[in-house]
Amino acid sequence: MDLTTLAFYFFAALTLGFGAVVVMSRNILHAAFSLLFTFFGIAGLYVLLFADFLAITQIMIYIGGILILIIFGVMLTTHITGVDVKSGRTGSIQLGGAVLVTLALAATLIIIATGTAWNESPAPEVTSTAELIGTSLLTRYLLAFEAASMLLLIAIVGAAFIARKKN
Amino acid sequence: MTDITPFTTHLLQSMQAFVPETALIVTFLLALAADLIWKKQRHISGYMALAGFIVTGFLLVQQQSVTGITFSGMLVIDHFGIFIKWVILLSAMLVVLFSFISGELHQAYTRLGEYYILIVGMVFGMFLLTGASNLVMIYLAIETMSISSYILSGYTKFVRRASEASMKYVIYGAVSSGVMVYGFSLLFGLTGSLQLHDIGAYLQQHSVDNLTLLMAGIMILAGFGYKISAVPFHYWTPDVYEGAPVTITALLSVASKAAGFAAMLRFFRLAFTAPFTAVDADWTVIGSIDWHFVLAVLAVLTMTLGNLVALWQSNMKRMLAYSSIAHAGYMLMAVAVLNDTGVAAILIYFFTYMIMNLGAFLIVQLVADKTGSEDLEAYSGLGYRSPLIGVALTVFLISLTGLPPTAGFIGKLYVFTSVISAGYVWLAIVGVLNSVVSLYYYVRVIRNMYLRDVESQGSKITFTPAVLALVLLLAVPTLILGIWFGPLVDWANLSMAITAFH
Amino acid sequence: MEIGLSHYLIISALLFSLGLYGVISRKHAVMVLMGLELILNAANINFVAFARFGGMNMDGQVAAVFVIILAAAEAAVALAILLNIYQHFKHVNLDEVDQMKE
Repeated sequence: MDLTTLAFYFFAALTLGFGAVVVMSRNILHAAFSLLFTFFGIAGLYVLLFADFLAITQIMIYIGGILILIIFGVMLTTHITGVDVKSGRTGSIQLGGAVLVTLALAATLIIIATGTAWNESPAPEVTSTAELIGTSLLTRYLLAFEAASMLLLIAIVGAAFIARKKN
Repeated sequence: MTDITPFTTHLLQSMQAFVPETALIVTFLLALAADLIWKKQRHISGYMALAGFIVTGFLLVQQQSVTGITFSGMLVIDHFGIFIKWVILLSAMLVVLFSFISGELHQAYTRLGEYYILIVGMVFGMFLLTGASNLVMIYLAIETMSISSYILSGYTKFVRRASEASMKYVIYGAVSSGVMVYGFSLLFGLTGSLQLHDIGAYLQQHSVDNLTLLMAGIMILAGFGYKISAVPFHYWTPDVYEGAPVTITALLSVASKAAGFAAMLRFFRLAFTAPFTAVDADWTVIGSIDWHFVLAVLAVLTMTLGNLVALWQSNMKRMLAYSSIAHAGYMLMAVAVLNDTGVAAILIYFFTYMIMNLGAFLIVQLVADKTGSEDLEAYSGLGYRSPLIGVALTVFLISLTGLPPTAGFIGKLYVFTSVISAGYVWLAIVGVLNSVVSLYYYVRVIRNMYLRDVESQGSKITFTPAVLALVLLLAVPTLILGIWFGPLVDWANLSMAITAFH
Repeated sequence: MEIGLSHYLIISALLFSLGLYGVISRKHAVMVLMGLELILNAANINFVAFARFGGMNMDGQVAAVFVIILAAAEAAVALAILLNIYQHFKHVNLDEVDQMKE
């Protein structure tokens, strides 16, 4: 077993193991911190997939941004000192249904993942993806890039309005 | 150093086709600045928005001759898109006018700057969505539209039920678009492209696994279905429509539905049907999945559930929410036939639906402002308390049922004709049965207005001339379009071809 | 065994299923959001894996960049709305925020 394979299984276990903790843990703070390791595992997988830029983006935006937001969300919407921090699940019948749906979905998706003839072709040597992504963003995806800036502006205006306390 | 001249030339050409959207961006920024400068003027950004929409309208008129694929295939400008853009723009203008007279908005909160600004942002997102021909662009446009509408539906944030509406909308909306993105990623894996026409061309040349394609298709339908509130992705609709300010409910029920339908039709036209070479009325479904059937089932579920649950509602807004689900079902019938006649029928239907549905919501807003209630009981004797409003609501409701001589009849007529001529007689029969069911709950409102508690509800309700003019602005076209619909049909027939070739 | 495309796809499939399980089974709205993040990350693993094994097709990576951007915007707006809900209801449990009846 070479180093890459080992690294793959390590990151895969990190992602899925902590991913399971995120959705199963009864303590919402544990879930939020498990999400950290899941995101980190995914960043590792990106490195193995030659997506160095995305791996850094993943760490900076997901861990440095979204996760912090979520933890703020947890702190501000939960009585940390009280019992409330243990976030309950829905009723047991619904839970059973959820498990069944999830298992069926997972089985279908794995059949799809392994059985489909995907559009594959050998990859050329790539040293750094940052330049390629940058070129794409400013040529082919220019409109999407600009539209994303509009979207962020809308999100800022809206979120600031809703979160503001008084007039 | 690579030569970028071809790219810049293409970019400049693209910018010319992007003028209406640019006008919207400028409006957004100007309204934002104006709201900061004139803090005391509550409606300043609203006036800016209205002016911006009018300018956009003028620019859209000049666009009628421009068609093409712009921004390296990100966005398609065609007559189909322009028709839908008109529906979006007109409904947004009307909703801004409604907002000027809305008592609900004025009592709930004193600042309205962001409200109009976000409406402009939402219209921008919807404009992008009608033209988007790339998976990334579709996702981006849907999110631009959604994020604005999440906030707008909870704009009266000190009202509990509006906040609740907003939360339900954002949580379920985010999940459905997440599922849609997963579907996109599967489609990307199958075909190696994000460009809709490349996906279509690939699927035509290669045979792919049916299960994978079906799964990707259903996941993507979950995203579109959420936006057009198709069953079983409709669960948010009643709560959000009831909780949100009436003006926003009206906007969601028409404009964002129109944009959702446009994106869905374009997706099916470009990615899942052939040919791609020239304009041809008959679409051939690629692969061995019967999308006609999938969509037909969706249509039947949507209209049946919408109509049946609407029967039990006692809140007008909630009833109209279920009615709008049912109307999405009728339009899905015309999507299910997957041909140009169906597209024309949807366009005609949407134009008529816009007028009658906005009219109905306007009256709900007026009555709620005067009586403080959205309950059906509040409409008792309305026909005598305010004759003009009573007559107008009767016209809108008859039109929503689809009876002549109103606009709604024309819309239904064309939808059913397109369904029958494509050979789906069973689907048309289900649709007609549904219309009969819908008659019951629409007529119940009319009965309440004219036949119930006539004596006890003596006090007159009066409205200002401006408000009555606005009501007439919607009621009169509803009647006129029922009789004189030639131009609308001609316009729809000119706009029915979705650009599918590269 | 050589690590191939299907390995990554299986991880993504499992992550997606976990995320959906979180979305269905949780009451706390922030927990539902965490489930959503898993779903979006699963889609991103797909995009990046397909990009790598589809001949270094950069479209996939660009799509992933956009998904990350939009996830951030969506999370910000969703959490602002949840803060507002908390002001009203003093909790953010989805099934108990139920002012409107059927």
